[in-house]
Amino acid sequence: MIRNYFKIALRNLWKNRTFTLLNIIGLTAAFGVAILLAMFSIFQLSFDRFHEKEDQLYQVYSEDSAADGIEANTSKSEPFAAALQDETTGVEKITRYNGSGVLLGYQDKELWMNGAYVDPDFFDMFSFPIIKGDSENPISSETSIAITERAAKRIFGDENAVGQTVTVLRDEKEVPFTVSAIVEDFPNTSSIGFDVLLNFKSQGKHAYERAIGRWDIENHNVYMQLSKSITASQFEKSTIDFTLLHYKDEIDSAKRDGVQPNAEGNYRQIKLLPLADISFANFNQGIVSVNRTMPYLVLGIAMLILFIACVNFINMSIAKSAQRLREIGMRKTLGANKKQLFFQFWGESVLVFLLSISLGILMATLLLPWFQTLFSTEASFEALLSPSLLFVLILSVLAITLIAGGYPAFLMSRLGTIQSLKGKLEASGKNRLRNSLMVVQFSIAILLISGTLVLWNQVDFMRTKDLGYNKEQVIAFPLNGKRNDQQALQLVRDALQDKTNIVSISASNNILGIGKDRSRTTSVLGFDYKGRGVETHMLVVDADYIETLDLSLILGRSFRKNLASDSLSVIINESMAKQLNEEQILNSKINLDDKSFTIVGVIKDFNFQELDQNIAPMSLFALPNWNLRNVYVKVTPQNLEQAYNDVKAAWKIIEPNAEFQGSFLNENIDRTLSNERTMITMIGSGSVLAIILSCIGLFAMSMLIVSQRRKEIGVRKIVGASVSAITVLLTKDFLKLVVLAFLIATPIAWWAMNKWLQNYVYRIDLDIWMFLMAGGISVLIAMLTIAGKTIKAATSNPVNSLRTE
Amino acid sequence: MLLELNNASRIIKSGGKKITLLDDINLTVEEGEFISLMGPSGSGKSTLLNCIGMLDNFTEGNYQFLDELVEQMKEKQRAKLYKEYIGFVFQAYHLIDELTVYENIETPLLYKSIKSSERKALVGDILDRFNIVGKKDLFPTQLSGGQQQLVGIARALIGKPKLILADEPTGNLNSKQSEEIMQLFSTLNKEGVTIIQATHSETNASYGSRIINLLDGSIVTD
Repeated sequence: MIRNYFKIALRNLWKNRTFTLLNIIGLTAAFGVAILLAMFSIFQLSFDRFHEKEDQLYQVYSEDSAADGIEANTSKSEPFAAALQDETTGVEKITRYNGSGVLLGYQDKELWMNGAYVDPDFFDMFSFPIIKGDSENPISSETSIAITERAAKRIFGDENAVGQTVTVLRDEKEVPFTVSAIVEDFPNTSSIGFDVLLNFKSQGKHAYERAIGRWDIENHNVYMQLSKSITASQFEKSTIDFTLLHYKDEIDSAKRDGVQPNAEGNYRQIKLLPLADISFANFNQGIVSVNRTMPYLVLGIAMLILFIACVNFINMSIAKSAQRLREIGMRKTLGANKKQLFFQFWGESVLVFLLSISLGILMATLLLPWFQTLFSTEASFEALLSPSLLFVLILSVLAITLIAGGYPAFLMSRLGTIQSLKGKLEASGKNRLRNSLMVVQFSIAILLISGTLVLWNQVDFMRTKDLGYNKEQVIAFPLNGKRNDQQALQLVRDALQDKTNIVSISASNNILGIGKDRSRTTSVLGFDYKGRGVETHMLVVDADYIETLDLSLILGRSFRKNLASDSLSVIINESMAKQLNEEQILNSKINLDDKSFTIVGVIKDFNFQELDQNIAPMSLFALPNWNLRNVYVKVTPQNLEQAYNDVKAAWKIIEPNAEFQGSFLNENIDRTLSNERTMITMIGSGSVLAIILSCIGLFAMSMLIVSQRRKEIGVRKIVGASVSAITVLLTKDFLKLVVLAFLIATPIAWWAMNKWLQNYVYRIDLDIWMFLMAGGISVLIAMLTIAGKTIKAATSNPVNSLRTE
Repeated sequence: MLLELNNASRIIKSGGKKITLLDDINLTVEEGEFISLMGPSGSGKSTLLNCIGMLDNFTEGNYQFLDELVEQMKEKQRAKLYKEYIGFVFQAYHLIDELTVYENIETPLLYKSIKSSERKALVGDILDRFNIVGKKDLFPTQLSGGQQQLVGIARALIGKPKLILADEPTGNLNSKQSEEIMQLFSTLNKEGVTIIQATHSETNASYGSRIINLLDGSIVTD
């Protein structure tokens, strides 16, 4: 029996090979892409889930009331962690965490590594297993260092690493450390990343010694393991006294400045962020918001695409069943019951599905490397391989096959014997189902297309927006060599100054956009100004900063060439000036650390942060011997590439061991848009696939309908209908569906895109043309899809179509 | 007695109007009869055959098949009954295009869950008997109409039915092919199979042992 079914299934699939092929292509593409997208989103969602104590681990941050609302602050001070553990209940373990680039030396090798300075509890809390060396207290000593397997390979090759001595550049000295342990390479779903781990106390003076015992220097993160006997919110409530005690000054000045406390009346609230939420948290806009929209959106797109392909399958199966009515009827008279018929037809579907899924998996495997680069993700099949997930996947595939394959089979098995023997289908209720499914298909396609258009416009807007500084002509690169910043900078100046294609050179402690080294910092300074608290971003710059970046000076002057004479001068931006609110802003004085700084200039606001934030107050300082890691070189607009190579060559001579990580500022800006780009590519390719699949379905339907209406077309032609009249007749019904889909999809798309744009302070206005364009594209593609078949039918000789009767 | 109809009618509603397809039919069929139903198009021949074959139902009256009342049976029982005792032959042959001659004949046995070896023997016998062994691997579209109908009859016979219902079995065939098919029916009838055929042709009807004339759903002469 099964062999008989199998045989007839294969013969039937072969007989209808056009449709079989269309179905297999559609389903394969859909399954392949759905697998990749699901992989991506599950990979994202599994971030930080590999720690055994994951449900007990939290990042500690605080919500501070400030003049413009509540700000989330993840930076903590040196005594904070220990005090929190001692003075509150519920802290089982706690560690400070400060990540920073580390220049590591071994023999004649010099390597930049991601370092993390942590407390010994770190290893008890997180699941970073030690596979070699001291697994008890690997970094309890201030001269020991733990390194990952991968880092060990980079440093030592195949040599035994444990017990070796490496040097770490600290305060301009190479300090020896002994490798105490090798940490197993951890999954790439970790938001905590490092190559080497050192004791928190092994940091440089500036980061550690200077900060000992001080509550006002906040420069690292804190993670804790919460006791099982208390919930996170209970713990948060229990810290109120702790906060009142240790942040008395800050709270007092907040009260003095009339800052609004939070809903519970607190000016500062210690909060816990679950570890698994960290990679989805946004700290930039007021209170921390945890947002998993992106992975779920991607999963959603995957499902929509599968849905479209399945709709094609259902529609085609039902339409094709008309041609098998006689077989159904005959089988019934030969004694087949409903169940047997159902399994026969369902079996055919299962065959198509199994083939498509296998091909889809193959396709996903082949596309994986390309997919990984395109979306800069490390997601792989591993993400899908956990037993519970596999179970869910298999179950959903079964469900899809059961619905998409089973529904048409169910319809067919239910037909009456006589009716089907006569070859007539009852009622036209199935057309309503087909039409609604097609409307949903095209709605999805239009939704995705308009989403892509809006996204693309917003990103283009952000990319090309005038940010208030020259991003086309300025190359930025980090001073990542051994020399100290001032010395290195001087050498850069000496090497490049006389070149004709170099306009000017400067440096600052912070980068604009994201550089090739991907490191960026924010320095925010809070101080009292005339009896009220004031906050400003702080930027320490070298001479010619304003000139190099083409910032526009509104009032006063720039820093002098002789920077030393300006060490007590400050230049502020408009927002800062507004905050200080002085009639005579020039020559006003700011007092910081017993020093008095004079405002000598005001510059126009420029977007030194991303465009999802308002321009914050900013102050430029010219402090001597400060960290000036980022060099900016403005070059002449002719031959930018040559200029880039000149700068690169100069740096190679100055620091032969260091990699040149320079890039133009507009590339830096592009890097900040990587999330948006990923989203565009994702939704964009989703929409392309959606429209292609929808059109495959449309094509198949037009083919079937034209063949079903052959006689009608012939009769119409004989009574005098023109080719165009018949084309319109055949096209009209389908276009109606696409237009209806447009009417349904547009409001949804408008609402969703409007909501998304709210994330950006600087954004485009939604315009109806974007949606009209999406609709237009769909209508056009739909028309082209059905044009071939309908025109052919309309021009065919009616004699041929009528002869069959 | 094979089957008996008492005051059996089939009345359907179409567009709000009642249409009487079969009107008060009384008919007794004994085993071994060869009955020809005659009458113009629309006189109810096919409907009567379908109702007797349990593909359709009478809406009124009694239908007894092998001393059992058909209208009181459940769908499943009825299916089992006609699977067991009735074979159908159609004017349009209704062979399954995707199956070979062999597989077409084999299909009813599959639905009866007969073992593979037994199936092989049964199909082999009938192919032999009908002289179509050489055609067993061909598909229906590769056969002439007469050959297709031969396969159709072979398929109807494979389940060893007591009753064969044939709806214009020669309607699509030329006179020579028709004659062959009718000869075959004749032979089968002599072997004890009861046959009821619907036909337009006097010649074909004459092969039967009994002719029933139908007009507008009623039996005119018997």
